Amino acid sequence: MNGVIAGISYRALLGRRRIWLLILLPLVLIGLSLLLRLLGVTDERTTVTLMQTFAIGTMLPLLGLIAGTGVIAPEIDDGTIIHLLAKPISRPVIAQTKFLVAASMLALFAAVPTFIAAYLLVNLESGIAYGFALGSFIGGIAYAAVFMLLGVLTRHAVTIGIIYALVWEGVVGNFVPGARKFSIQQWAQSIADQLSSSAFFTTEIKLSFAIPALLIVTIGAVFWAGQRLRSFSLTGDE
Amino acid sequence: MSESTGVIHDIGYRHYDGARLGRGHAVLALTVHSLRGVFGLGRTARAKIIPFLLVGVMMLPAVVSIAIMAVVKQKGLGYTEYAAIMQAVLAIFLASQAPYTVAPDLRFRVLPLYLSRPVTLVDYVGAKLAAMTTAMFLLLAVPLTVLFIGEMLIDLPGDTPTAAYLTSMAGAVCYAVLLACIGVAIASFTPRRGLGVASVIAFYLLTSAVSTVLFATLESMGNDTAAAWAWLINPFFLVDAAVQVGIFGAKPAQSSIYPSGAGTAVAIVIMLALIALSVTALIMRYRKAASR
Repeated sequence: MNGVIAGISYRALLGRRRIWLLILLPLVLIGLSLLLRLLGVTDERTTVTLMQTFAIGTMLPLLGLIAGTGVIAPEIDDGTIIHLLAKPISRPVIAQTKFLVAASMLALFAAVPTFIAAYLLVNLESGIAYGFALGSFIGGIAYAAVFMLLGVLTRHAVTIGIIYALVWEGVVGNFVPGARKFSIQQWAQSIADQLSSSAFFTTEIKLSFAIPALLIVTIGAVFWAGQRLRSFSLTGDE
Repeated sequence: MSESTGVIHDIGYRHYDGARLGRGHAVLALTVHSLRGVFGLGRTARAKIIPFLLVGVMMLPAVVSIAIMAVVKQKGLGYTEYAAIMQAVLAIFLASQAPYTVAPDLRFRVLPLYLSRPVTLVDYVGAKLAAMTTAMFLLLAVPLTVLFIGEMLIDLPGDTPTAAYLTSMAGAVCYAVLLACIGVAIASFTPRRGLGVASVIAFYLLTSAVSTVLFATLESMGNDTAAAWAWLINPFFLVDAAVQVGIFGAKPAQSSIYPSGAGTAVAIVIMLALIALSVTALIMRYRKAASR
């Protein structure tokens, strides 16, 4: 962990236009739950649907993509990463710091709004609010690691990330049950299911699979990103 | 009187004596260049992977559908629902390629160079929009046409699907115009390609998720009229409701139900308003960028 690098990364994420997207997504989630509250639909089933399709299914991968690639990809894109890499700081430490920054942003912009949105609808009933907040917190950490790695690996990180989140987790996961085993969203839902006792919410992936998978993916991605930065070559823009 | 020392040397630059093709040709050249760039032509091999991968995915249902028709002698995919079924792929293509058309020029501040030529600001914006619109249209029209030709060749019993095909082509034009305008407008607000991609896809995911959640909730409340309106939040169903179902009377895509009565008129108005808003935003954005 390096304080200066963390500061630079926070400024890159929070400055300029990126912040608006980071704020807009949670705002829409909270707005939707307020609207549902006004309409008088505050049952558990609607809340679980909202959490599953919107909070974990849409908002979390998008925020993960914006924060995860946002901590490193712009620097690689305009070449300023070279100033960072030229300093006597261990490259794995740079990767770890940037990962921690992205993960903390996701906790703030994904987990907290998820809790608020669920709380607005059903208070603390059946542990839905706690469950989904924890699920999106842990899922967000995994997304941050994976998408940061993508940002180091390729210049088309955002597009590839979208294809993973939309096509693999969304479309393929709907038709091929096996694909759901390898989906961060599903792992996040298994975590959420542990705290929630709601009858409307069931998950297929067992915790004994989800927790090791989350750990391996997160630690593996951060480690690989660090290794990749050690032998990083700056290629020209196309 | 001092002797003048300034001399103009003739260092052999040659004049251009050919015909000057003028503004129209400049705009056309810019359009063609942008259109080629959308598909990665004239760019590195790596830039071609994603667009052509997505083109391949768009073709898949058409090919599978033709195979089903040939083997089982049964009708496959409907023409008018093609875009709504493949909406994720269209959205990913738009998100990944729209920023390419605008972001590099903004980032490297080369707009004044374009504008120092006969090309005007509106020409520039028009060329970029035309390129993206053509690309989106080709992405949708080619699989539809392949499907149509396949169905004609197999010649299933029953009437030929010419009307459905023409309706879907009219729909494809509207899909292309709406999506390209929104996509390019959103992408133009950031000079960073990555953020542009994320913004465009965020727009699609937000509208489609909000539409799904609202529809499910309103339907579970038993409020079917309000639920029908919720579909119009998603731009893909908006075009389907406005043009394909509204004007040409096709069957709604998938299981959606659109608002009846004034619904069509409202859908058309929303669609045109979205296009006008995007174009206005684009021109204002470029006025600002050009003045720097």
